Amino acid sequence: MQTSLDIQYIFELFPYLLKYLSVTMGMAIWGFVLALIFSVTIAIIRVFKITVLAQLCALFISFFRGTPLLVQLFLLYYGLPRFFPIFEGLDAFTAAVIGLSLHFSAYMAESIRAAIMGVDKSQMEACLSIGMTRSQAMRRIILPQASRVATPSLMNYFIDMIKSTSLAFTLGVTEIMAVSQMEAASSFKFFESFLAVAFIYWAVVVFFTRIQYLLERYLNRAY
Amino acid sequence: MIKVTNLTKKFAENAVLKGIDFEVSLGEIVVIIGPSGTGKSTLLRCLNYLETPTSGCIEIGGIKVDSRSATRTQINKLRKQSSFVFQNYSLFANKTALQNVAEGLITVWKMPKPQALQLAKDKLIQVGLRDKLDQYPSQLSGGQQQRVGIARAMVAKGEVILFDEPTSALDPEWVDEVLAVMKTLAKQQQTMIVVTHEMQFAREVADRVIFMEGGYIVEQGTPQQIFENPQHKRTQAFVKRALKY
Ligand SMILES: Nc1ncnc2c1ncn2[C@@H]1O[C@H](COP(=O)(O)OP(=O)(O)OP(=O)(O)O)[C@@H](O)[C@H]1O
Ligand SMILES: [Mg+2]
Repeated sequence: MQTSLDIQYIFELFPYLLKYLSVTMGMAIWGFVLALIFSVTIAIIRVFKITVLAQLCALFISFFRGTPLLVQLFLLYYGLPRFFPIFEGLDAFTAAVIGLSLHFSAYMAESIRAAIMGVDKSQMEACLSIGMTRSQAMRRIILPQASRVATPSLMNYFIDMIKSTSLAFTLGVTEIMAVSQMEAASSFKFFESFLAVAFIYWAVVVFFTRIQYLLERYLNRAY
Repeated sequence: MIKVTNLTKKFAENAVLKGIDFEVSLGEIVVIIGPSGTGKSTLLRCLNYLETPTSGCIEIGGIKVDSRSATRTQINKLRKQSSFVFQNYSLFANKTALQNVAEGLITVWKMPKPQALQLAKDKLIQVGLRDKLDQYPSQLSGGQQQRVGIARAMVAKGEVILFDEPTSALDPEWVDEVLAVMKTLAKQQQTMIVVTHEMQFAREVADRVIFMEGGYIVEQGTPQQIFENPQHKRTQAFVKRALKY
């Protein structure tokens, strides 16, 4: 039974863990890009109340907000290939990216929708009055204004997503959490290993929080 | 050029327009006056299809739309025949003055960007905003914003510009500069329908004045007829009160 903290071990572990940070960030970035595409689509469908699709989106949101991310990842990874043979060769990384993006898009869609609804109605009317179509108005005027409002909360979701990628180790993705787990198991220095990985997450989150702050400051200056 | 037939509009059970008929010819300046809540804004908004009429026919510049059978394509075509100047300006908040005016040219009319920006610049210079081209709406005074709004409506290539109380949100000091721009437009034979409480403007500039009340056109005629010799009792009462101020 060890009682003292092996600080040297922690420092030795950092460079090793950092090698796998690209896997973690890869999942987060791909997941976020996909989630953005999904959530903007869902938000627009919900704002325009497109029949059937809007109801399906509401169901989608309800499900992905109403069940744990871990359960969703398992359902995706173990369930999809069974029912859709194209997913037969689905690797754990891709499954995690899809799962993360679906899960977060459910939340992001709602904050994008709120941002769109928050744009003054007169902006849409002004677009229509000079002959723009609704979708031109969306693209040129409404979405750019909404994105400014939505950016801070979307950044929060991105930061949340970085942390959530740690669940991917349960599917067998070798990212920083999985590596620290393996290290812990072989060295029996559990506390040190998890402390090391915690510091890495923390540093990454602090970094992106800083970016978020700068981005917000830039956006507030824009007009 | 503009022909409105039996136009009605209900909000739920509230009948706001109860059968409006009128025509406007090319180059004509029509001013609509009337008490608050009588449907003047609603009428203008219907012409631009910002509000869907309950029934009736609207024809502008050869595009005829019957509200009962209106298709999306028809509505888009009709909208392009008119442009709107809003009481609260409604400039695009994320665009500069120049971009506000150029936006329609680029997006709707597919004009190459440099050309669109040049034309937008010309129009802004015309309305006296040469040194405000790159300002955002939030950096402009009410009067300046409204002049950008007018410039934006001018380049929309519509047959008619609809003005809904363009000066009533303005501080008194900015009213004249906006009216001056509108007078210049009137001199250029730009077809205009103007809802306003500026009786002096109506008298000076209008070819025809329409008095509306309770969802109907009560009376119409030259400014002289309406202001000096109104036939209808309601018109008389309204004009008497309005001219006092
Ligand atoms: N979107 C709406 N929903 C419900 N009722 C409306 C709506 N817009 C207007 N109304 C009603 O229609 C009536 C006429 O309104 P409108 O704005 O056309 O009057 P107005 O003649 O322009 O008045 P003002 O001089 O005050 O601008 C009012 O009773 C108003 O409450
Ligand atoms: Mg009004």
